[in-house]
Amino acid sequence: MRVVAMIMAGGEGTRLSVLSEKRAKPSVPFAGKFRIIDFTLSNCVNSGIFDVAVLTQYRPHSLNDHIGIGKPWDLDRARGGVRLLQPYIGRNDQSWYRGTSDAIYQNLNFIKENRADLVLILSGDHIYKMDYNTIINQHVRSGADLTVGVMEVPLDETDRYGIMTTDEADRIVEFTEKPKNRDKGPLASMGIYVFNAEKLIQRLSEGNDDKPRIDFGKNVIPAMVAEDVVYAYRFSGYWVDVGTIDSYWETSLQLLDPNLDFDLFDPNWVVRTRSEERPAAKIGPQARVTQAIICNGCTIRGTVERSVLSPGVYVSPGAIVRDSVVMNDTWIGPGAVLDKVIVDKQVVVGAGARLGFGDDLDTPNKAQPDKINAGISVVGKSAHIPPGISVGRNVVINADRDAEDFPDGDVGSGETI
Amino acid sequence: MLRTLALILAGGDSPALSVLTAERTEAGVPFGGKYKIVDFTLSNCVNSGIYNVGVLTQYRPRSLHTHLGVGRPWDLDRAQGGLRIFHPSPTPDGGGWQRGTADAVRYHLDVVEEQSVEAVLLLAGDHIYKMDYRPLLELHSERNADLTMAVRSVSPHDVRRYGIVGMGSDGKLDRFVEKPRRADSSLASMGIYVFRKQYLIDLLRRHPEADFGRHILPKIIGSTNAYGYNFQGYWADVGTVQSFYEANLALLAETPALDLYDPEWVIHTTSADRAGAEIGPQARVIDSLVSDGCRVHGTVIHSVLSPGVYVAPGAVVRDAVILNDAYIGPDAVVDRCIVDEDVRVGAGAVLGDSDDNTPNQTAPERLNTGLSIVGMFAQVPDGARVGRNVAIRPRTAAKAFPKDGVVASGSTL
Repeated sequence: MRVVAMIMAGGEGTRLSVLSEKRAKPSVPFAGKFRIIDFTLSNCVNSGIFDVAVLTQYRPHSLNDHIGIGKPWDLDRARGGVRLLQPYIGRNDQSWYRGTSDAIYQNLNFIKENRADLVLILSGDHIYKMDYNTIINQHVRSGADLTVGVMEVPLDETDRYGIMTTDEADRIVEFTEKPKNRDKGPLASMGIYVFNAEKLIQRLSEGNDDKPRIDFGKNVIPAMVAEDVVYAYRFSGYWVDVGTIDSYWETSLQLLDPNLDFDLFDPNWVVRTRSEERPAAKIGPQARVTQAIICNGCTIRGTVERSVLSPGVYVSPGAIVRDSVVMNDTWIGPGAVLDKVIVDKQVVVGAGARLGFGDDLDTPNKAQPDKINAGISVVGKSAHIPPGISVGRNVVINADRDAEDFPDGDVGSGETI
Repeated sequence: MLRTLALILAGGDSPALSVLTAERTEAGVPFGGKYKIVDFTLSNCVNSGIYNVGVLTQYRPRSLHTHLGVGRPWDLDRAQGGLRIFHPSPTPDGGGWQRGTADAVRYHLDVVEEQSVEAVLLLAGDHIYKMDYRPLLELHSERNADLTMAVRSVSPHDVRRYGIVGMGSDGKLDRFVEKPRRADSSLASMGIYVFRKQYLIDLLRRHPEADFGRHILPKIIGSTNAYGYNFQGYWADVGTVQSFYEANLALLAETPALDLYDPEWVIHTTSADRAGAEIGPQARVIDSLVSDGCRVHGTVIHSVLSPGVYVAPGAVVRDAVILNDAYIGPDAVVDRCIVDEDVRVGAGAVLGDSDDNTPNQTAPERLNTGLSIVGMFAQVPDGARVGRNVAIRPRTAAKAFPKDGVVASGSTL
C-alpha cells in the first residue's frame, strides 16, 4: 500500500492579519520554536509516511526556507522525501491554484509518478498530533473511496465548520458547509482526507464548467458523498485551527496549562522543526518568569508572565511581558510593558513603550473589525515602536513601521498603523 | 590559507573529572547547557574554514561517537574531507592502545601521509575557547616554520600545570619545559600545534616516545624552526571538577568572558528536537541558563540546566550544574552539585546537605570545595541526605544508599 501525503500550504490566511502578511499561514511561528506546519509534517514522518508533497502558492519564501530539503524531518531522502509543488506554467495552460482540489488536480502527475494507492490530503495549518495509520487502516477496512477525518464539536459551533452527517455505520450521507440551522449533527471535517488514488484522479479529471472541481469542501466532497462510498473517521484528541488572531492567541496561551491534553515533550511523538543554533536561555538575577515557554537564545532580565517567547527574544530589565506571544529576536526595551499582544519577529519595542494599554478592550479594530476585536493588539515583523508611547487595544501595527509612522506618538484602541 | 588537516585528540581518560568521565571521554561531557566540550574545538575548525577534521578517540568513546554522528551540525558531512573518526585497532602482537598524544598521531600516520595537505593542526578536544585558527596558520606559513604553537601567559603559580615555553622577540621558541616547578617564563603552551606535514611524519618516525608534551617537545624545541603564536582570548581547560563547575557558572555573569551569543562565531552542536522550556505557574527561576526541553516547576537559582531537565514543584536547585534529562523530584534540594545525565533525585532528597566540608576521602585533592557530584543514571532515593564533597558513581541504585539515607560529607558511593 503506497501512501503519499499532500499538504495544502498555499492559503493566504487573511484572518491572521499581519502575521501572514509576509508569509504563508503554515509558516507562522507557533509554541515558541515551531512553525504551524511542523505539526502536520511531524505527524507524517511519525506515522511512517516519507513521501510528502507541500503545495505552496501564497508568499512561499519563508516556508521554503523552513522546509529546505527536509532534514529536520528526515525527509531528505534518495527515494521519496519532501517535494515542494508550486504553481507552474505549461505549454498550453497556466494558472494559479484556484482552490484546494484544483491544486491537487494540477499535480496529479505527482500521484501517478509515485504509483500511489492512497492519497492523504492534509491541511498545513492545524495544530494536532495524529497517527495517520489509524485513519488509513479504517479506510482500507471499510472499503471506502474516501475517508474524511472528523471530530465532534459543540452543536452551537457547527456553523463554523463543514459538517458531515453520517448513518449508524459512520458512512457520510450528507455534507453541509457551515449549516445555519445546526441540525446536521456535531461531526466537523478536519480537512484530513484519505482518497483511493484512482478515484481521486477520476473525480478531479471530470471537472468542467458545469461540474467544477476547484475546492474539496465546496465541490469534490459533496459530489463524492452523492456518488461514492465515503466514510467518516472520528478523531478525539486535541486539534485546533489557529486561523484567527483570537484562536492563535488563545491556543498559544493554552499551551501553558500543565493539564492540557497536548504534550510537546512526549518522547514517543516528537514534533520536529528546524532548530536554530542558539545557546540556552539566560535568565538574569532580577528576572521573574512564571508560566511561560522560553526558548533557546532568549535573554530575560525583566518579568515574563503567562507568555510564549520564541528563540532569541530579549527582555530588558524592568520590562514586563504578560499574556503575550513574542516571536524570534524581538527586542523589548527597558521598562516597556506588553499586555495581551502578539509581536512578530525582529520587532524593536522602545524603552518605556506600552503595548496593549488601557481598559478599552471592546473597541474593535476599525480596519478589520471582524478579525481583531477581542482586545489583542498585533505588531508586524520588524516594526520599530518608538520609546515611551502607549499603544491601545485591538491595534494593528503593520510590518516595517518606523518612528516616523507614529506622528502623534500614542496610538488609541482600534487604530491601524 | 594552507591546506590543513585538523586532528582533535579526544581519547584521554581525564581522571580529574571524577564520575563525569567514568563512562565517557571528556570531550563528550556536556557544557554550558546544550553543548558538549568537543563542540568548541570542532566549531573553531569549521568557523576557521577547516573542513578536513579527524577526531582521535580511545577512552569510552561511545557518547562522543553518537554526538558526532556524520558531522552534520558542523557541516562536516561532506564528500571531500569532512569528519573522520580515528580509533585504535589491535596490532598482530596484541598491542595498539595509544600511550600518549604522539603515540596516537603516530598510529594514524599512514592516513596523514595520504592527505594532500601542507599542515597538520593538532588540537585538544577538551578545552573551551573560541579561536580563529587562520592567523595561526598564516604565521606558520609566513615564517616557513616546522612547528608553530599557540601560547598564552598564565599566572606564575600555575606554571606547574602547563608546558612552559621560552620565546624570543621574533616569536621563535627556544625551549619547552613540561610542568616545571618554577620557570622564568610564564608563557604556556595551549596544546594547539601546527606542524608542517612532512616534518611531523619525520619527527614521529625519528622519536618513538609516547607524548608530545612530556617527551618530544622538550627535546626538539631550541633546535628546530618553531614559533609561538600569542593568544589572549578566553580559554579554559575544564579538566577538573572545580574548573568545570566554575566555567559553567561563569556563563551566568552579566557579560561572560565566553560569549555564546555571538552570531559571528556560532558554536555548533547537535540540537535535539525539544520544545521550548516550560516554566510553570509556581516556578521561580533567576540567574540561570535554561535549555530547550526543560520543565521547571520549582525554584532554580544561579544554575545551569541542560536540555530536558525536570524540576518538580517545591524542589530547589541552587548553584548547581544539572545535565541532560535529570529529574529533580518534589521538594528535593540540590545545592552546589554537579548532577550528571539521567540522574533521578527522589522526593525530598537533599544533595549538598550540612556545613561539614570534609574533603572527599578517596580524592581529597579533587573534591574539597564543597561540591558534590552525582554520576549518570544514579538513583538518589526519596528523603536521602547527601553531604558535601561526595561522589556518587554512575548507575548507583537507590538500594546502594544507607538505610537511613544519610551519606556523610567526603564519602564516595
